[in-house]
Amino acid sequence: MQWMTIFKKELLGDWRSMKWIWVPLVFILLCIMDPLMTYFMPRILDSVGGMPEGAVIEFPEVPPTEAIMMSLTELSMFGSLLIAAITMSVIAGERKSGVAELILVKPVNYFSYITSKWAAKLFLIFISYSLGMLASWYYVDLLFGGLSAERFFGLFIFYFIWLIFTVTVAIFYNTIFKRPGIVLAASVGTYIALSILAQVFANRSPWFPNNISSHIRSLMASGEVSSDLWIAAGVTVGISIILLIASNFSLRKAELAE
Amino acid sequence: MAVVEVRQLEKSFKGKEAVKGLDFELQRGKVIALLGPNGAGKTTTLRMLSGLLKPTKGTIRFSETNENEDIRNHIGFLPQYPSFHSWMTGKEFLIYVGQLAHLSKDEAQERANELLEKVGIANAANQRIGKYSGGMKQRLGIAQAMIHQPQLLMLDEPVSSLDPIGRREVLQLMEELKEQTTILFSTHILGDAEEICDDLLLMHNGKILESGPIKELQIKHQTSLLEIIIEENPETYIDRLKAFESIEDCKLEKGKLLVAVNDMDKARTQILQAALQEKWPLIKFELRRTTLEEMFMKVVSG
Repeated sequence: MQWMTIFKKELLGDWRSMKWIWVPLVFILLCIMDPLMTYFMPRILDSVGGMPEGAVIEFPEVPPTEAIMMSLTELSMFGSLLIAAITMSVIAGERKSGVAELILVKPVNYFSYITSKWAAKLFLIFISYSLGMLASWYYVDLLFGGLSAERFFGLFIFYFIWLIFTVTVAIFYNTIFKRPGIVLAASVGTYIALSILAQVFANRSPWFPNNISSHIRSLMASGEVSSDLWIAAGVTVGISIILLIASNFSLRKAELAE
Repeated sequence: MAVVEVRQLEKSFKGKEAVKGLDFELQRGKVIALLGPNGAGKTTTLRMLSGLLKPTKGTIRFSETNENEDIRNHIGFLPQYPSFHSWMTGKEFLIYVGQLAHLSKDEAQERANELLEKVGIANAANQRIGKYSGGMKQRLGIAQAMIHQPQLLMLDEPVSSLDPIGRREVLQLMEELKEQTTILFSTHILGDAEEICDDLLLMHNGKILESGPIKELQIKHQTSLLEIIIEENPETYIDRLKAFESIEDCKLEKGKLLVAVNDMDKARTQILQAALQEKWPLIKFELRRTTLEEMFMKVVSG
């Protein structure tokens, strides 16, 4: 009941601040940008001209399974930044402005407070991501050739697990820091640190959350979900749950005013 | 009957003591003023009572609740500078916090309408809070604190930031609310406390220096002073007054005779008898009561 109240209020807040318009648009843009650029690049170069006489540039054939992976590459870079940016003030903002002083002296369960806000942001991101990936699938299918629904949904679902993780990290920092800017910096810093770690230990830690996208790449190639992907996904979900529980403790311990 | 009992309450921030061992009780149905200069620790105390801050030491016990119950069910709190979701309307916000306080949607709606009417912002109910004036926000703040009919309503400086009209209206509102709940409010303005409170907690440098019913405190700190105004040549009466054994001193200040006495009853009778017999042209004969300000200065300065 209380959970739904906060969840609905968050959705309404995102609607009134136009997030329900611009976040899906940005996701769609991120997802279709690379596949479209890749397809149209030879034509653009042709029409702009300026190439020396007789120069031949070979563009490798891009299979549809590669083309759709371009969307994930964009999402991994700018998508996580965007997610951290729209999540940075869900709790920290309320604490900084002082609204939390009104809300949290009401008999609000802290765990409901955190998870309802988490779920509301995740819902916005899920819808935006779905629209973005469906648009990407449409263009890939049109321009690069057919991509089976099975592979698409495999990619779609497993990558969403990574997105859940990115939201959860940002929510966790919301309960630790009181300034949205610091939450943003800490979240992005964590994503970068994780991706560096994943690269350093690439062979030894197939279960690392960041490796989900490389496992998805092999899923696209082979059509089969590897056990590494299952494990990485499981680990990622597990860390997310732990982070949510830790957020609850962290907020409980925090002084809500100075 | 006490609503809250506070024992040995202490709070320090990074080694700096803001509140140094408070002991007090709040009596049911009273309006209690937490009075003190800026920096006395009033806000810190209220924030501890509302659960926003954790005491460094000491206990706060609410009498109505059992061990495991969330005390937040029974308290309403208005911070000094309340802030809201400015994208919501006043009514939406009240319904929202009402539901957070476990009212059903219908109950919350009904209660929101009732309170908007009561605090006098019903005509702005459907306006975005971002467009509210300071006074309107203060009223909305009181309404949100009352939404679940708490047993203890705590208001941090509820009128300090308001203009004289807004101040008057909020004080009147508090007067009405005191029928329904116990009110604890902090202020540094003596007049506000004097006007509305039953009991007083006088706070200075993190300690409670005086507490009790305001009338008793006034008597306790009463100075034994008579103020007499005589129509003609008041100076000629000074020696006459000094002759009474019940009178310690007498001096003339701005045309008023200020008489310090050691026995008020005796002095009163003697002076009035003399005045009657000797036909003094009296204009005013007054037993001077301590104002809160005098008491405050007296207690705070030691």
